[in-house]
Amino acid sequence: MFRRSAMVALLVPGLAVLAFGFLYPVAATLAAPPDGDPATVARETAALLSDPYLLPVIARTIRVAVVTTAACLLLGFPVAYLISRAPARWAGRLLALAIFPLMLNTVVRTYGWLVLLGSNGLISDVSAALGLGRPQLLYTETAINLGLVQLFLPIMILSCYSSLSQQDPRLEEAARGLGASPGRAFRQVVLPLAMPGALVGCTLVFAGAVTAFTTPQLLGGARERILSTLLYSRVNVSLDWPAASAVALVMTVLVLAVSVLSGRLTPKGSAQ
Amino acid sequence: MIRRPFLTLLAAVAFTIMLGPVVILLGVAFTAGSTLTFPPEGLSLRWFGAALAYQPFLDSFRTSVVVALTSTLFALALGIPAAVALHRGSLPGRRVLENLFLSPVIVPELVLGLALFQQIMVGLHSTATAALVLGHTVLLLPYAVRVAGASLALADPRLEEAARGLGAGPVRTFFSVTLPVMRPGILSAAILAFVTSLNNVPLSLLLTGPGVATLPVEMLNYVQSSFDPVVAAVSVLLLAGSVAVALVTERLVGFTKVFGR
Amino acid sequence: MANTAETAAAPGTPVVRLDGVSREYGKASGAFAAVSDLSLDVPRGSFTTLLGPSGCGKTTTLRMIAGFVRPTSGRILLEGADATSTPPEKRNIGMVFQSYALFPHMTLRDNVAFGLRTRRIAKPEVLRRAGEALELVGLSHLADRRPAQLSGGQQQRVALARAVAVRPSVLLLDEPLSNLDARLRVQMRQELLRVQRETGLTAVLVTHDQDEALELSDHLVIMNGGRLEQQGAPREVFPAPANRFVAEFLGYQNFLTVPGHGPVTVRPEHTRLLADGEAAGGDGVLLDAQVRGVTYQGSHCLVEVAAASGDGEATLHCLHPGDDVRPGARVRIALPHRHLVALAGGAGTEDR
Repeated sequence: MFRRSAMVALLVPGLAVLAFGFLYPVAATLAAPPDGDPATVARETAALLSDPYLLPVIARTIRVAVVTTAACLLLGFPVAYLISRAPARWAGRLLALAIFPLMLNTVVRTYGWLVLLGSNGLISDVSAALGLGRPQLLYTETAINLGLVQLFLPIMILSCYSSLSQQDPRLEEAARGLGASPGRAFRQVVLPLAMPGALVGCTLVFAGAVTAFTTPQLLGGARERILSTLLYSRVNVSLDWPAASAVALVMTVLVLAVSVLSGRLTPKGSAQ
Repeated sequence: MIRRPFLTLLAAVAFTIMLGPVVILLGVAFTAGSTLTFPPEGLSLRWFGAALAYQPFLDSFRTSVVVALTSTLFALALGIPAAVALHRGSLPGRRVLENLFLSPVIVPELVLGLALFQQIMVGLHSTATAALVLGHTVLLLPYAVRVAGASLALADPRLEEAARGLGAGPVRTFFSVTLPVMRPGILSAAILAFVTSLNNVPLSLLLTGPGVATLPVEMLNYVQSSFDPVVAAVSVLLLAGSVAVALVTERLVGFTKVFGR
Repeated sequence: MANTAETAAAPGTPVVRLDGVSREYGKASGAFAAVSDLSLDVPRGSFTTLLGPSGCGKTTTLRMIAGFVRPTSGRILLEGADATSTPPEKRNIGMVFQSYALFPHMTLRDNVAFGLRTRRIAKPEVLRRAGEALELVGLSHLADRRPAQLSGGQQQRVALARAVAVRPSVLLLDEPLSNLDARLRVQMRQELLRVQRETGLTAVLVTHDQDEALELSDHLVIMNGGRLEQQGAPREVFPAPANRFVAEFLGYQNFLTVPGHGPVTVRPEHTRLLADGEAAGGDGVLLDAQVRGVTYQGSHCLVEVAAASGDGEATLHCLHPGDDVRPGARVRIALPHRHLVALAGGAGTEDR
C-alpha cells in the first residue's frame, strides 16, 4: 500500500523516544546508578535478599498483592457477571459506575480511607460506641489491602466483563435446560469459560498491587512498608541510590515473572 | 426479585468498597470543622476557599495540565504514525516492534520515575518539567499506539486501495482516508492519555524540582504533612471535573468505550 | 415440584398446555405484549410447530415453556401439572438452540453427558446413554473432539443428541436449522424427523420457514403479533387459511372480493386463463382481466393480470401452461368455486 521505507520512517521518532526516555534510563538505573558501578547494585540486591529487616518487606509485598488479587476476583467477578447478564440499559450504567473511579487520581480515591480508618474515624467511633475500644486500623496491612482492593476492582471487573460479555448467554440456559441448578451452571459453564479474562485481570491487579505507591504510602506508612514505599524512602529519605536500584530490580523482576507466568497459563487461541 | 442473592451481595460489597470512600469525601469537604471527620460537623465552603488560596495547588495544577497536554500531544504525534506503520506497513518483525512500543507498560512506573530522575535529571541535568514531559510521553505512548491502532485494525485496508485507485497519492490518501478512519480511535486515545497523565503519581513522584510538582504529588505531600480537609475539597473539585470529562466523553465517543479498555 | 415425567397423567393429557398465557415487557404505561392470552395444547408424541414472522412471539412462547421467561399472566402445565414457576432445570426439557450453545470447553461426550450428570445417574449409565445419543446422530467416532472442531451441521446434531439424551418430556427446538446453509437445512429436516420418530419424543419447533413447518410438523400453530392466528394439521391449515395473514404467510398471493363469496383467496395453480372466446367449462367465477406481465418459468408461465373484481381492480397471479399470452392482452380468468378460500373479513392484515 504505502512504500516500506516510508513506513519505517514513521516508526523512527517513536523508537528514538522509547530508546532515550525508557530503554536507556531503565537499563542504566537497574544496572548501575550514576555514582555507582554494576557491582554495587549486585551487592545491594544480595544484601536486600538476605537482610532480616527487608525480607519481610518482600514477603509483605507478595502477600498484599496475593490478598488484593484474590479479593478483587471474589468481588469483581460477580459484578462483571451481573453486568454482563443485565438488560442493556442497566448494563451500560452499571459499567460506567464501575469504571468511573479510574478517572480519579489515587490520592482522591485513597483519602476517604483515612477518614474511615483514622484513630478518630467513623469505624473507630462506631467500635468505641459499641464498647469494643478503638482498634488500630490505619497503618496496617489490612488497610493497605482495603485500599488496593478499592483501587483495582474496576480493572478486575473490566477484564472479567470482557470475557463474560462475549459468552453466549444461551450456554448458561442450555445448562439450566439440561437440569443444572443456577449454581452448577455458574461453576461448570460460566466460570471455566471466563477464565481467560479472569486470568488477565489477576495479572493486571497483581502487577498493579506490587507497584502501587500512593495507597500503601498513605495507609501503610513507615510502619508497614512494601517494596514501592521502601524504594521511595531509599531515594528520598536515606538517599541511598544503589539500594534504591536494588529494590527497583527486585520489583521489576517480580512483575515480569508474574506476567510471563500468566502468559504461560493462558491457552493459545482459547475460548474467546 | 433478586435472582442471585449471593452474587448480588458480593457485588454490593464491591460497589461499596469502590465508591464508599469517594462518597465520604463529599461529606468531609463540606465540613465546617477543621478535622477529618465523618459525618461532618456543620456545613461550609471554607475548605474550598482554602484550597483555591493555597498557591502550591494552583501551581501544581498548572504544571499537571501543561505536562498532560504536552505529553498527550507528543504521544499522539509519535504513536499515530507508528500505529499506521505497524498496521499498514506489512513490515517484517511486526510483533516485535509492536511489543517494543507497548513495553513501557510492563516496567513499574516508580522504577521508570527513578530511572528518569537518576539518568535524565541528575545525569543530564534536565529540568523537572522536561523530565516529566519525557516520562509521561513514554507512559502514554503505548495507549496511543494501541488505541489509535485498534481503529485502524478494524478498518478495511481496501479503503486506502480504493483511494489510490481513484488517483490519490500516498500522502493525500493518508490525510483524506487513513486519518479520518482513525478519528474515533485518536479521540479515545487522547482522552484516555490525558486523564492517565493527569492522575499519575508513581512516575511523577520523584520528578520534582523547586516549585515544580504535579497536582496529585502535591496533594499526596499535603496529606502526609497535615490532617485538615483541604485535600478533600480539592478532591471534590477534581471529582466534579471528572464527571464533566466523563459526560463530554460519553457524547463524543462513549464513556465505557474509552475507559473500558 | 415433583418430577413430572413420573407422574405422567393419562395418555390423553397434552404434554404442554398453555392456559391464557401472556408476556409483557416494559413498564405499565408503554407495555409491549410479546405474547397475549395464548392458549395452546401440544399433543403427546406430536411434532408441533410454532410458525410466524419474526416478532410474532413464537420464541418467547418456547422460552416460556422452557422456563427461561416467566409469563406475566396465565398458566403453563407440563404433563398436566402446573409448572408456571418451576425453574428450567426442574422441567425435564430438552432444548436445542439456534446458536447450538454447545459448551466449548467440553468434548462432545461431555456435552451430551452434561444433562445426565445433573440427574445423578450412575457413571457407567451416563457414558452408555451419552454414547447412544451420539450414535443416534451418527457422531460416535468424534466423541472426544471439541465443538470448535466440527462443522455447523455436526454441531447441530450434537446439540440434538445432548437434548434427547436426557429423555425429556418435551424436545424444544428454537430455529435449530436457520444457521445452516440451504442444502444442509433440507437434509437436516429429515434427520430431525427421524430422531423424533425413533425416540418417540414430543417436539415443539419454532421457525419462520413455512416449508420447514409444513414438512416437519403434524400440528401447526401460526402466530402473529403475540396471538394465535390458526392451528391444526398442515393438511387442514394449508388449503384453508382462516384469514389473510395466514394466507399470505403460507404463500397465497391472490386476494380479491367475489360477489356472493366476500373476501377470498385462490392459489395461482387453481386459476385458469381463457383466451378470447374460449369456453369456461364447469362452474366458477369469470372475471375480465388485462395481462400486465408474463414471467417464463419453463413448464409454465406465471401471468400477472389486473382483474375486475367485486371491490374494484385486483392483481392476480395465474399459472398458465402455454406461452401464448403477451402483456396488454385482454383475457378472462376462471376461478372454480371449490378452490375459492373464504377469508375472515380483514383479520390479521392490520400491520403487515
